[in-house]
Amino acid sequence: MLKNQIARTILGRLGRALSVGFWVMVISFAIMRIIPGDPASARLGGVEAEAIAQLRKQLNLDGSIFQQFSRYVTDLLHGNLGISLQTGRTVIDIIGSTLPLTIYLILFSTFFAVILSIPIGTSIAWSGKAPIVYTFRGITAVILATPNFFIAMVGILIFTVRVNWSPVFGYEPEFPQNLKYLWLPVVVNTLIMTSVVSRVIFSSVIETKEEEFVETGIIRGVGRRRFFWFYILKPSMAPTVVLLSYMMGTMLGATVILETIFTLPGIGREMVNAVLTSDYPVVQGILLIFGVITVFLSFVGDVIAYLLDRRVKI
Amino acid sequence: MKTRFVKFKEWLLLPGGFGIFTGMLMLGTMILLGIIIPNFGPYKPDEFIGDPFLPPSWQHPFGLDQLGRDVMTRTFSSVGIDLGVAFLGVSIPLAIGTVIGILLGLAKNKYVISLVGSLIDGINAFPLLIIAVAMLTFLGSGLRSVVVILAITNWARYARISRTRAVVVSKQNYIEAAKTLGFSKRRIVMKHIAPNVSSETVAYALSDFILVIVVVSGLSFLGLAAKPPMAEWGSMIADGRAYLAQSWWLVIFPGLALCWSAVSLSFVVEGISRRDRGV
Repeated sequence: MLKNQIARTILGRLGRALSVGFWVMVISFAIMRIIPGDPASARLGGVEAEAIAQLRKQLNLDGSIFQQFSRYVTDLLHGNLGISLQTGRTVIDIIGSTLPLTIYLILFSTFFAVILSIPIGTSIAWSGKAPIVYTFRGITAVILATPNFFIAMVGILIFTVRVNWSPVFGYEPEFPQNLKYLWLPVVVNTLIMTSVVSRVIFSSVIETKEEEFVETGIIRGVGRRRFFWFYILKPSMAPTVVLLSYMMGTMLGATVILETIFTLPGIGREMVNAVLTSDYPVVQGILLIFGVITVFLSFVGDVIAYLLDRRVKI
Repeated sequence: MKTRFVKFKEWLLLPGGFGIFTGMLMLGTMILLGIIIPNFGPYKPDEFIGDPFLPPSWQHPFGLDQLGRDVMTRTFSSVGIDLGVAFLGVSIPLAIGTVIGILLGLAKNKYVISLVGSLIDGINAFPLLIIAVAMLTFLGSGLRSVVVILAITNWARYARISRTRAVVVSKQNYIEAAKTLGFSKRRIVMKHIAPNVSSETVAYALSDFILVIVVVSGLSFLGLAAKPPMAEWGSMIADGRAYLAQSWWLVIFPGLALCWSAVSLSFVVEGISRRDRGV
């Protein structure tokens, strides 16, 4: 009976994820078409009509809007996202070669952020001393309001210009060498993420502290470790997981800027290059991937949060 | 005079009062400097006045940039552009989103509800920066396109909040009472539902303002919003990036101004939210 209900809730959430996913597809299809004017002639300028017609065909802009959409969906189901106008590579290939780096960047930052946030958030909340709490709130507020490219610039100024710990340009894909290029972007991301996550853990622990079961735990003399994990931390886990899945989506958006600054060959810089060269199929394909990943992340985050705490509404 | 001061002091000591006050003071200073320095200062933002890369000095506290322009004048003449674009990028979606959300919250047609509702979810699924970058490809870059794009995309966040709130409010007793008293539907929506919904969306707008400032300057940083001769924080930082090793002042001062504005707003937001919660 209980298992049934869990399955039903998760299936319901999956249904919502799929319907949002459908709209993500519609939006990335529509983005080339809702804007006044014809992208094909805008890109080619005033050349002969034949070339424009051919480009329209290549961009799937000929025929009625329904024909275009059905072709778009069929292509998508065959794993065909179009061909780059700039390099002639398939968009799938471009995404496949640039996405992994971005994903590593985000996963590492998330991992470090979680490791740092748990002790910071809980210890500050547990001590509850006003000066510490105010300092913590102030510092995290400043970090959160600062744009990531400015934090990155200050990082470069310190670690590349003052002490030469990190090269400014370039990238080497081999394993031990690439860490030299990756550590500073990861630190910037981790710093931002830690500020958000530790704040949520902090306020969640503050709330938990007042609950009666915590007092009961103290009176019963529960072991220290067990007390920390089960009494203090576990109730904070569900909101933290939801926040993490949301933050990973935001980080994905922020890579557009971060990878441009650090000249890392990830998907974000690829998108900026495609925008600057009006490479429509690449922009469209990357937009779709970003949307799909974000929908997937929020689905996974919600499901994990629900499994951790059944009271969570998803 | 004394009673007014005492009142102010009491207000300040309420939860969050100090945050709101500090934030407003910081923001006010920035806006004031943004009006005074470009208009009454000795230099123009795109005037060449001396040697390129002159370090900060008493005469030019923020130094000169790669073309010999006064960085301080440029930094403060960006205030109007950055905050102005962000203001438009928040207020237009706020208005559109609140109205659509209320209409959706009160709508009876199931198809309309699920269609518009999932469109809202679909738009919100994309990180704001990503969808803005993608749309700029097709709209062409520039600050005007940025405002248009924010109007097209950002309303969905407000609509989601406003819709949830409208559904809650429309079930309240006082709406029932107004209906029983025979007030017209229009009056109920305008006088009873809209104010209760918009208080919520306006509160969100304040924190959204920070996000939008960062997005606008981020787009300029990528070279997609403000164009070179124009003084704008994001594009100034992007320009200074190439000279970071020798001339840090090209990047640090516009960046600090950007931080200052965003941080002042975040103090206000945090103060207001603490006051609401009463802690």
